[in-house]
Amino acid sequence: MMRPSREPAASTTGRYLLVINDDLFGDDEASRAVVREVSGVQEVVSTRDAQPGALDARQTGPGALLFAELGVAVVTVVPDRVGATGLFEPADDRLIAVEPERIVHALQDAVPVDALQDSPFIDDAEATWGLQATGVLAAAESGAGISVAVLDTGIDLRHPDFADRDITSRSFVDGQTAQDVQGHGTHCAGTMAGPVDPAEGPRYGVANGARLLVGKVLSDQGSGTDADILAGMSWAISAGAQVISMSLGADQREISTAYETVGRRALAAGTLVVAAAGNNASRSEGDPGFVGVPANSPSIMAVGAVDATLAVADFSASATEVGGGEIDIAAPGVQVHSSWPLPRRYNTISGTSMATPHVAGIAALWAERSGARGRALWDELVGAAQPLGPPAQDVGAGLVQAPS
Amino acid sequence: MNASHSEGPIPVTVTVDDAHLAAIDELAARLRAAGMDVEQVLAPVGVITGSAPSGWEALADLDGVAGVEPQRTMRLPPPGTPQ
Repeated sequence: MMRPSREPAASTTGRYLLVINDDLFGDDEASRAVVREVSGVQEVVSTRDAQPGALDARQTGPGALLFAELGVAVVTVVPDRVGATGLFEPADDRLIAVEPERIVHALQDAVPVDALQDSPFIDDAEATWGLQATGVLAAAESGAGISVAVLDTGIDLRHPDFADRDITSRSFVDGQTAQDVQGHGTHCAGTMAGPVDPAEGPRYGVANGARLLVGKVLSDQGSGTDADILAGMSWAISAGAQVISMSLGADQREISTAYETVGRRALAAGTLVVAAAGNNASRSEGDPGFVGVPANSPSIMAVGAVDATLAVADFSASATEVGGGEIDIAAPGVQVHSSWPLPRRYNTISGTSMATPHVAGIAALWAERSGARGRALWDELVGAAQPLGPPAQDVGAGLVQAPS
Repeated sequence: MNASHSEGPIPVTVTVDDAHLAAIDELAARLRAAGMDVEQVLAPVGVITGSAPSGWEALADLDGVAGVEPQRTMRLPPPGTPQ
């Protein structure tokens, strides 16, 4: 066998991303048809297929994986479709864009694809394991000029780590202020946007330069209604948030028309909504769980959790066969150190709730870097994710990565 | 869970369809006329919340309504379990 003369550039995988146009978006058959015709690939697996087990974003042979909810296909192109220049540049007005799939690694070391981390990441004096694993420490951006919203139990406004921050807070819970007494909201806000140099302990926050919008939609007792949450989303969009982080959900398989519609309108307005996939799995007991509301909305990015070996967390919900019930991306969600209401100051807890603000904060870094908003920002995050060993139904495109 | 046959009003969320986003206040008025107690009109996202008596499913038939659903209550898990 002759070795193919075309070598993919070092920073790309050799595969291509095909972005389907709006007319075909949502039409699985038409999307598959254009992918087949353009790439020469016969086998197009869709995330809407009945057996998500067949999905594997890491496949290397000829084939295509259609992310139906994104209108994007990842394709290993049949060699004769690649031009003499070594470039695959189909002209087809059903495609908005064609681009080489990128590999993005943390700068400090090239993590082997498909292998669990040999030695686990650990919190050190400088930073939490989650910031290390996602390349945040090497990123030049801080989220400056970007507004990020967290919709949760509020924030401890007295916390020294947020003393000098530009924070706008509002409560949507009757009779309660945005002051957090539960802890969950302060923890999530800390991961998303905590300072470079906290009062004590390692750095734990991603977008330290972002403007922080804190909407209290869950009460001091930790509960909230759809009305509170949707009001919070509406407020955050109106207040100019480019990213909304929602570490909340209900164990319900059926998609909510309200959340999906709001997620879609948010993207159109330039606001990316990310939500926790849910913690209803018990993988060690054979229960993969399922993505619930609102993360199962196709227009809301569902975040799964990995541990410090980059293995899927035991509790992290798996994709469902419901369109939109995919896991879109994964982030650190086990033993996550972050801020906590006084007098405790800090706490280390686990859950897809902890993974979600890692993605939201990193989205702010990308938004600052590229200016991308809404769907384009979504595509950037997914495109830059580091592929992981577990299948896409568990970790989506892989581990979220900051711009390097 | 809220049962649709319950006697009292239940909290509901109404999603406004794309064609009626600009006329959301008029839709809110139609919902009131149809028996819904409207609490919030969220124009930026095209959502109306409130409560409605049994038979709330019929609100979906009003012109401009993309969907009606009973409201969920989201609860954080107890401390010490995955959050």
